Amino acid sequence: MRRWPLAAPYLAGSALLVLVPLGLAAALAFTDYFGFRAPEFTGADNLTRLAADGTFWDAVGISAFVAAVVVPLRLLLAVGAALLLARRRGARTAVGRAAAYLPSVIPDAAWALLWLWILNPLYGPLPALLGVLGVPDPGFLTTPWGARLGLVLVMTFQVGEAFVVALAARLAIPARLHEAIEVEGGSPWFAMTRVTLPLMAPIVLVLAVRDMVVVVQNAFVPTLLVTDGGPANATLTAPLLIYRRAFEYGELGYASTLSVTLLVLTGIAAALPLWLAARLAAHQRART
Amino acid sequence: MSVVVEGARKEFRARRGARVMALDGVDLEAKPGELLVIVGPSGSGKSTLLRVIAGLEPLDAGRVLIDDRDVTGVPAGRRDVALVFQEAALFPHLGVAANIGIGERARGTRRRDVESRVREVARVLDIEPLLTRMPTELSGGERQRVALARAMIRSPRVCLLDEPLASVDTELRLRMRGEIRAVQRSLGVPMVHVTHDQVEAMAMGDRVAVMAQGRVLQCDIPAEVYARPATTAVARTFGPLPMNLLPAVDGVVTGVRPERVRVNRSGAGRAGTVAAVEPAGEECLVRVDDVLARVPMADAPHPGEQVVVTWRPEDEHHFDAETGARR
Amino acid sequence: MIVLSAVFLAPLAVMVLGSLQRPLQPPPNGLDLWPDPVEWTNFATVPRFMPLGRLLLNSLLLVVVAVPVTVVVTSMAGLAIVTARGVLRRWLLGVSVLMLLVPAAALWVPRVVLLRGAGLADTPFTVALLALAGTTPFYVLLFALAYSRIPSALLEAATLEGLSPFAVWRRIALPLVRPAAVAVAALSGLYYWSTFMDPLTLVSSPGNWPVALGLRNLSEMEAALYPIYLAAAVLVTAPALLAFGIAQRSFFSSVERS
Repeated sequence: MRRWPLAAPYLAGSALLVLVPLGLAAALAFTDYFGFRAPEFTGADNLTRLAADGTFWDAVGISAFVAAVVVPLRLLLAVGAALLLARRRGARTAVGRAAAYLPSVIPDAAWALLWLWILNPLYGPLPALLGVLGVPDPGFLTTPWGARLGLVLVMTFQVGEAFVVALAARLAIPARLHEAIEVEGGSPWFAMTRVTLPLMAPIVLVLAVRDMVVVVQNAFVPTLLVTDGGPANATLTAPLLIYRRAFEYGELGYASTLSVTLLVLTGIAAALPLWLAARLAAHQRART
Repeated sequence: MSVVVEGARKEFRARRGARVMALDGVDLEAKPGELLVIVGPSGSGKSTLLRVIAGLEPLDAGRVLIDDRDVTGVPAGRRDVALVFQEAALFPHLGVAANIGIGERARGTRRRDVESRVREVARVLDIEPLLTRMPTELSGGERQRVALARAMIRSPRVCLLDEPLASVDTELRLRMRGEIRAVQRSLGVPMVHVTHDQVEAMAMGDRVAVMAQGRVLQCDIPAEVYARPATTAVARTFGPLPMNLLPAVDGVVTGVRPERVRVNRSGAGRAGTVAAVEPAGEECLVRVDDVLARVPMADAPHPGEQVVVTWRPEDEHHFDAETGARR
Repeated sequence: MIVLSAVFLAPLAVMVLGSLQRPLQPPPNGLDLWPDPVEWTNFATVPRFMPLGRLLLNSLLLVVVAVPVTVVVTSMAGLAIVTARGVLRRWLLGVSVLMLLVPAAALWVPRVVLLRGAGLADTPFTVALLALAGTTPFYVLLFALAYSRIPSALLEAATLEGLSPFAVWRRIALPLVRPAAVAVAALSGLYYWSTFMDPLTLVSSPGNWPVALGLRNLSEMEAALYPIYLAAAVLVTAPALLAFGIAQRSFFSSVERS
């Protein structure tokens, strides 16, 4: 059977909407382009500007910080929920699984508005709750680190996709492997650390890489709607900066330079955990 | 050391509310040092029985005793039972040595002690060269040997085997039957071996328990089950070939084994037409109407030939047509 | 497990409670989440701040167009991944992984340039073009997972019977993975209902926006008006919750091993 006819729409659509735009971005990255006149080739000018663009590198740093804090939290939540909810069928499991996916069902913009209120210094329930508990208010929307903490909170709960993938990976482990540990008298902790997690590791790794991309990207909505990049650019992430360059200042050429740079940085950041995993697998193999 | 199962009942709720009696009042005993084979078709409850003994499946009613101690409520890990799974259940992310030693590690033995135990067991089973390999690099027989090693390393009170030879090819299966027997003798513990292979059951078991639909139909030494099947169901399922069961006359079903049926060109007996002839090496299987016979190849009739089948009266078995029980 | 469920459910509960409080009140003293009295009129006030009817219609049209296209494209591509060998399989997996790893921000500018050039930007349906690329490769992989459980002999038998690849897909494979199809339909429905970043960059006329993007302007409201913007958020969330409630059973069963 010839398979390519089935794949044709997907490959064509991906080419038109991803591969061609990527190529175009790479070309525009070396031009001055404002949308109304033809792009003007400027050689390495944009790169020179990029190298000296402190705001962009700060934004990249903030994106990296958010990803470094949020991705482990999200994976912990997603994998933890998948492990807890992988047991038998039953009404409680079904409710738990639906609940774990629920925050991802809420549209990002609605989610952002919700947190705009939750974090509000005057009306928000979270500062109020902290006040009741006697915890000092970090100033979620008013101080730089408070705003970053707020951003972390906004980004942590919507882990539906990662949860479902982790759940599928957990359910794919044959039950008799766990029964073998049970018969041998291994504790649940032993079963989890020596069997479940190692067998899920390759998937969790892919999830980590994917989640890094998702977090860097999806931080855009809350930074636009909740913090507006502030205070004092404390939450000005790379996508928000690119958005402002492209659609508020209309610098499509230089915005492309920033886009491609972000893509390359993401690629490097993605390759790192994959390399680490290959090392780990080799090490595991040699152990008793 | 012994295993006793008393009045075991276990019901499964299948999809759409249907209920299946996996164990319907099972009594069974594996005596010290005995290899008890449980044989039956798939769905007969034999694997469930094994999982109940291991503690992986709770009972609805009944008791499990290991060494005269009631372990019905004891979790699997504290029963001191070894279980060899169908398809070996090796951990794909661990090497062979780690797979053999994982039970000891699970019980908290130090790594260095585990390593020496693993080498010892591997030497006994002659799998030392495999220790550095990964499970994916093993053949079906090698995988089962590793699984056996994993069961042996702890010197358990009972050893349970769930169709361990199902995925092993014929030649190796013959050899591994002997190896399993040898392992069992060296451990000196009762071994309960579940299989659907009648030949394997006859060849390996000190005793066999024939199961169907959640009940033990008969439990005895293989020769006795073969010579005097307790019910028509046992007669049909146990043995190299199913027993011929003739239509009931006056409430009595007469059975005769195909091995004891003779096919003559003429003479007294049941006359019939040869429906099919299946060569099987030195012998062949002949179906004459509804009677199956195993005859030497030299005497093989042709399909369509008119023949007479006979047997000696002492080879007849008689069963109650109503209950199926032996008379 | 109950604690975990509570953690995930709390934000939604807080959103509903907030939307029922009275707007334009002085800041509360301490934590007082329970609305008293319950202010249902917040929901009626929302259309004064955004053209709710128009935007809901835009979103509905977008979902109606984009979801069937997504299901068709991803279910075909998923089958191709499961049954293909060699180069085609490598390409499909490679493209899928690449698309999972490309940050959307890298595509904003060139997509706008391309679609403006083609005259396809700034319509209510512009965002639906993403369905041609399967919306996200995640759906393709979901279908591939479901197809991989069909015995391959079944598909080979159908091919030997002389069915074309499309007939195998339409008449054999797709009917066997109905839960996956329902799941992808629901997830992509949610995606297009919630879409924000894509229309923000591709659709410039507010009249063509989907409803989630319409929430954008509400973020600049007075803090004291929070019950109004939360009411708007609840209105936009409710249809999504409804769709998820209907589809969640098929969704999770498509993940489970049979």
